[in-house]
Amino acid sequence: MKLVEEVTEDVTVVEAYGRLDSTTAKEFGDRLISLIQAGRSAIVVDLKNIAYISSAGFRALLIANKATSERQGKLALCGVIGEVKRLFDIGAFTDEFLIYPTQADGIGKLRQ
Amino acid sequence: MATGVPSQTESTGEIRIANKISEIARVADLVDRFGARHKFSNEVMVALNVSLDEILNNIISYGYDDTAHHDILVRLTLCGGNVEVVVEDDGRPFDPRLAPAPRSSAKPRTEGGVGLHFVRSLTDGHEYASRDGINRLRLTKKL
Repeated sequence: MKLVEEVTEDVTVVEAYGRLDSTTAKEFGDRLISLIQAGRSAIVVDLKNIAYISSAGFRALLIANKATSERQGKLALCGVIGEVKRLFDIGAFTDEFLIYPTQADGIGKLRQ
Repeated sequence: MATGVPSQTESTGEIRIANKISEIARVADLVDRFGARHKFSNEVMVALNVSLDEILNNIISYGYDDTAHHDILVRLTLCGGNVEVVVEDDGRPFDPRLAPAPRSSAKPRTEGGVGLHFVRSLTDGHEYASRDGINRLRLTKKL
């Protein structure tokens, strides 16, 4: 998978492209943990270019979520649409995360 | 035993992979090609790819008592208005039908159990049988 990162007003936005599954979840999760351990306390993960996410991908997101909150940081998701949204709903994961419609929404909220 | 290149006829696609997580990408590629050729909707593509990821991850992670190479066969077949997915392995029998649905609770979730919940929610039918050392899972998805 491809990850594109950008920092806007102290918020790190990570855009993920491709599949978020057993074959890519480790790379994805490791990168988020690196950012968190490097002190990035406001992270928005944009999933709008993800084709699908399996339980391995959800596990990586949950671990990153927990790591951020342990450091009093904030992690939010955006771009949870279409089939990816459906998977969040089936897995009952929607309530586990801060979710905003767009990057701009996420950046705005996390800056506060 | 070398793992195979994918093969296909008009209405089937098949691949034999090794029992390594990285091999799941080859199955996803087969699903994407087969689905594109037969104009599957995105909903069907996602259902197949997520289901296969969950099933293959389970087999590869928990299905073997040794560290040896094992083949896993994945076959896609068009059948009436459905696509049928067959997964055959020679690991320990594990019937995905027996996995409990995740409890709904207010506690933070882990991913345990949710994988097979996805398979059940995303597909329209499943059969599982173990015979002569071969486990065979058959999933059906309406097109």
